[in-house]
Amino acid sequence: MKSTRHFLLDWAEQGRIPPENLRGSLSLTGALPSAADWRRFLDLLLLWLGTLLVACGVIFFFAYNWNDLGRFAKFALVEGMAVTALVFVWRLGLERIAGSAALLAASLFVGALLALIGQTYQTGADTFELFGAWALAILPWVLLGRFAALWMLWLALVNIAISLYYQAFGGLFGLLFSPQQSLWVLFAWNTLALALWEGLAAAGVAWLRERWAARLLATASGGLVAALALYAIFDGHRGDSLAVPAWLAWLAGAYYLYRRLMPDIYVLAGGVLSIIIVMASFLGKHMLEGRAEAGAFLFIGLTVIGLSAAGGWWLKRVASEETR
Amino acid sequence: MKNTEPPELWTQLKEAGLADGDLPITSDTVTPWYVRTMLGIAGWIGALFLLGFVGAGFAFVMKSVAASLLVGATLCAAAAALFRAKPGSDFAAQFAFAVSLAGQALILTGLAQEWHSHFNMIATVMAAVEAALFLLMPNFLHRVWAASSGIYAAAFVFNDSGLHAYTPALLLAAFAWVWLNEFSHPRKASLLRALGYGLTLVALFNLFTTGVYGMGLMTGGRHTALALPGGALNFWIGAALTGAVLLMTVQKLLNREGVPAMTGPGRAALAAAALLALISLKAPGIGLTATILLVGYAQGNRVLAGLGILGLLAYLSHYYYSLEFTLLEKSALMACSGIALLAARLALRHWWPESGKEANHHA
Repeated sequence: MKSTRHFLLDWAEQGRIPPENLRGSLSLTGALPSAADWRRFLDLLLLWLGTLLVACGVIFFFAYNWNDLGRFAKFALVEGMAVTALVFVWRLGLERIAGSAALLAASLFVGALLALIGQTYQTGADTFELFGAWALAILPWVLLGRFAALWMLWLALVNIAISLYYQAFGGLFGLLFSPQQSLWVLFAWNTLALALWEGLAAAGVAWLRERWAARLLATASGGLVAALALYAIFDGHRGDSLAVPAWLAWLAGAYYLYRRLMPDIYVLAGGVLSIIIVMASFLGKHMLEGRAEAGAFLFIGLTVIGLSAAGGWWLKRVASEETR
Repeated sequence: MKNTEPPELWTQLKEAGLADGDLPITSDTVTPWYVRTMLGIAGWIGALFLLGFVGAGFAFVMKSVAASLLVGATLCAAAAALFRAKPGSDFAAQFAFAVSLAGQALILTGLAQEWHSHFNMIATVMAAVEAALFLLMPNFLHRVWAASSGIYAAAFVFNDSGLHAYTPALLLAAFAWVWLNEFSHPRKASLLRALGYGLTLVALFNLFTTGVYGMGLMTGGRHTALALPGGALNFWIGAALTGAVLLMTVQKLLNREGVPAMTGPGRAALAAAALLALISLKAPGIGLTATILLVGYAQGNRVLAGLGILGLLAYLSHYYYSLEFTLLEKSALMACSGIALLAARLALRHWWPESGKEANHHA
């Protein structure tokens, strides 16, 4: 768990490595980037930042909705950009990073195209339909592309489509769709995505091993179920009776998966934080409602501090077990 | 990042003549950033309830300026004593952290009652308080908090005095100086690192809480552009200074790696930096977040590099909503910048060819 860099910095802090030798030591042991590493860094930075800025430029342009530019010119522009990006994908191939970047750009241009269609033809479509159509349209590319960032974009689009759907219809049928409904659907979707992701990664699909993507999904999934639990606590009788059991089940599942099967302390830390927040809310609601007694505040404060200290101690212990 | 066993590392250093003696004994683990963040957030929640305790049980304290300041200072002193008395205990550390936060909140309440809307004076005193606490409390998490809040208070005063256009460049310069000197003062390493993280967090926060023209949300835009130092051009000067800090950072890194500026790699690096500095004239956040990413990578610090990447992505979304330029101008800037960067990548292959062993592979 402890990296080379941390060991060397600790030894230098103890005075065992003279200050003038520290940089040399870090370079020698590979803790600092070599010349080849630097070249690759510059290469990737220019590629991804350049691609991202071009895509932003196109999206900003269509958001501006420049009336002076004719309808055909606008369509030609965005379709041209999408086709150009696809040509790059074809020429460069998906094995090269530049090919992946071009595929990401093409996926973003599709969104601009759909937005333009909505703008131009006044189809009366709701915004959630734009995002839904966007997600559907790029799904084949996402499946072929096989890289994490594109999958994250796709999952984000579906999440946005779901949220906007409930925003569009919640207002009309306020009695039928409570705010919790959208959270439940989002929770189900993100947890399913997380389960599939981790399952396939464990089964051996190499490119799924990038932890940041799985952690992002786990944050979304855990955050949503904790929000549902908080809603249940604060809404009282109107709240969802399933929310707190679902939250507890999530905690149990996360513990089993990320402590026993495939250790990931990030998710465990998130779980500890969600316990602290839900506990504090539960105690606050029941002990402080209607009366604000000093003793109650002190009790809850000490409970929070105690839980966090215990959580921190436990997480550090799990971390040290992982190194052995 | 390679993770070799400590004995092998030590042998490697001894063989290179960089260290001698027996293998030093240190702990096997370091607390990851997400655990520290969890502890920080929980500490804050605990502090809020402790404040509630003071407010509910001892209401007179909150209402009196002298009592607020006195009790606040006492709580901070008690926290310092607790940190020093029980350095190994998790519970003591968390409790002391929460007590200290509650104490600082009480001091702020007292100052606010005394000086009402004189925000500058309140901010100046709080900056001094946080500086003192930074030095006094021997706990890394608390040091990061003290550095962040102290620097934020100082930046607030700076912004409010009409110098808001120059704050990003100043924060970035301090950021680069602290992190690039991380290895020169290993004994003070944890102090420097806490200061570095504080500067990083405030630099990013400042980026999102001020408009592209740097008008602080807190200052309410009381100043007209012409009355400020630098006049109506202050934004451009500030943005140019941010770009200049990026260029100086790249130059410093080239010197450190022993790469002369006129070689292929040197020219490539400086050209890329110049391009980003140019883009920063109209989108200063790009230069700032790119510098954070660059320094993080150079120091082998993944958390810092990650903050740079997140900052960059967040800035691009934030930039969409900024009002100083029209979407058309912004889209033109983005598109041209993007094409320039991609062209620079092609030029990179010419100036700095990769060695034969490297092959293009999946990211």
